[in-house]
Amino acid sequence: MRIWRELRKNKWLYAMSLPVVVYVFIFSYVPMSAHLLAFKQFSPGKGLWGSEWIGLDNLTFFFTGPDWLGVTVNTIYLNLLFIAAGTICSLCIALLLNEIRHAYFKKVSQSLVILPHFISIVIVNLMVINFFNGQDGMINRIFSQLGFEPVNWFQTPAVWPCLLTIIFVWKGAGWGSIIYLATLTGFSEEYFESARIDGAKRLQQIWYITLPLLRPTIIVLTLLGLGRIFYGDFGLIYGIIGDNSLLFNSTDVIDTYTYRSLRSTNMNSYSNAAAVALFQSVMGLITILFFNWVVRRVDNDSKLF
Amino acid sequence: MTANQTKLTSLARQSERSKQIKLAKQRDTSQLAVSLVAYVFIGAFALFCFIPFWLVYIGSFTAESQIVQGFRMLPTKFTLDAYRFLLQGSQVYQSGFVSVFITVVGTAGAVLITSMFAYVAAHPKVKYRYVLSFYIYFTMLFPPGLVGYYLLISNWLGLRDSLLALLLPLLFSAFNSFLMTSYFRTLPFELNEAATVDGAHELYIFFRIIWPVSMPVIATIALFYALSYWNDWFNALMFIDDPHNQPLQMMLRRIVSNSQNLDYLNTNVNIPVSATGVQLSAVVITIGPIIFLYPFLQRYFIKGITIGAVKG
Repeated sequence: MRIWRELRKNKWLYAMSLPVVVYVFIFSYVPMSAHLLAFKQFSPGKGLWGSEWIGLDNLTFFFTGPDWLGVTVNTIYLNLLFIAAGTICSLCIALLLNEIRHAYFKKVSQSLVILPHFISIVIVNLMVINFFNGQDGMINRIFSQLGFEPVNWFQTPAVWPCLLTIIFVWKGAGWGSIIYLATLTGFSEEYFESARIDGAKRLQQIWYITLPLLRPTIIVLTLLGLGRIFYGDFGLIYGIIGDNSLLFNSTDVIDTYTYRSLRSTNMNSYSNAAAVALFQSVMGLITILFFNWVVRRVDNDSKLF
Repeated sequence: MTANQTKLTSLARQSERSKQIKLAKQRDTSQLAVSLVAYVFIGAFALFCFIPFWLVYIGSFTAESQIVQGFRMLPTKFTLDAYRFLLQGSQVYQSGFVSVFITVVGTAGAVLITSMFAYVAAHPKVKYRYVLSFYIYFTMLFPPGLVGYYLLISNWLGLRDSLLALLLPLLFSAFNSFLMTSYFRTLPFELNEAATVDGAHELYIFFRIIWPVSMPVIATIALFYALSYWNDWFNALMFIDDPHNQPLQMMLRRIVSNSQNLDYLNTNVNIPVSATGVQLSAVVITIGPIIFLYPFLQRYFIKGITIGAVKG
């Protein structure tokens, strides 16, 4: 057989890839079988394979329940906010950092804007809780000094989409700018020089040259974000909101919902959670294929695959 | 590209540079305005990123009576009580040990298997390299989901409350492997061929020839893995109940969620401290190693991610 001949010929190379092949099989492909639970009545004693098939009951239960539309809309809405704000801020940081000629200022400010990326979400959550907490949180103090009414943040669902977006930008925008900056510095000076000869102002150069050249990078990164639009940022959201049901209205996402149903004492909780997870995985796959198809039509060079 | 052509382009580039310098000297007003906006915006954003860290740092050294009045930009009453309280308990050492252990062992293992795989996936002699890449890629397109993951670790592998539940889940990241693969693809294949002609073993080539020339990307990936191990709390949240095996991040989370219950720290000293002070000093201790490593590694990872991303 041809396959065996190839494997024999490069046996050491294939052997080097073996740890990862085995690892990924166990940690990614084996757990996929749990999607079957969405169609079964899970009983811990019988395990995954022994549990009885019950058809589409779990899915029906999820889709006829009151929660699914809310969590799905929240997930998509928050992700759209994150993608839009994150992309715009990262892009601005990259464009403006590129304008800075003072090497020392550039180095220090770049280090500072990347810094939050390296901090665990637990620490971010703790900072957020300390700053927004009740009456004596930092933000409310500033508010009262400026003469505004203090806001009871943890009981006001409406402010959280905005707050979460700010936290998201704080944590990730500087890091996100690295890739734009790397692409930017690779552009040939000739474009800018000829534009300057034609009398283009600096802002016009950015608008008519830099941004169009960055377009493929922007599209690819946005696509990657859109492909994950059905996945909530569990660490960020659960860490801050936790089980505070007052805020579920605007912040409960598919991931936090699955986690809670997995933990609930309900006998059939695994099967319910599996139904949600299956919905999430399938929708994720569909969105990534869909957006890739769209981009292939619009701008073939920017496609993911 | 022939040697001559390279020489010509480099000459052309040099003359471009000198022209650029001349142009830069006679900047027009629009350039000035844009620069001004750039300095103000970047400066403001950098401060916005930095201030929370500064407040936490100052807060951890501030006396109880001052903390309750809110955070300050400058310390008012300096004290080490919160640190003394935290460091006299046994939990912080136990958790610190767990964090360091999983970070060191996990990163070493992860870098080893990821680099070997990425090398094979980039190797022109390997006929099924794209099959291997797709095998990994598919797991990104169609993730297994939380339930399967939970069942795998806690029921099928039985790793509940074991350090392996912290080590194994983060041992491989598809993203890191793609970053490395695209780096290895930029290496000249002749490097490999010459060694093969000399009769070197594949493993020898990889560790003795490929590794040394790939240090920027290996350092970058090592930093990424180290950070994900050091910052991990999700696996501890899901699978670790025993305080003995909880990493620092989880200790911090426990202090935050039971802020009244500082007994968890196993400390038997009577220092009057505020829960907030202990939280803040725990944050400083938990951030610690990263802040020290960061300035040294920064140059590497910007270079590493740039190479991986732009050529990928």
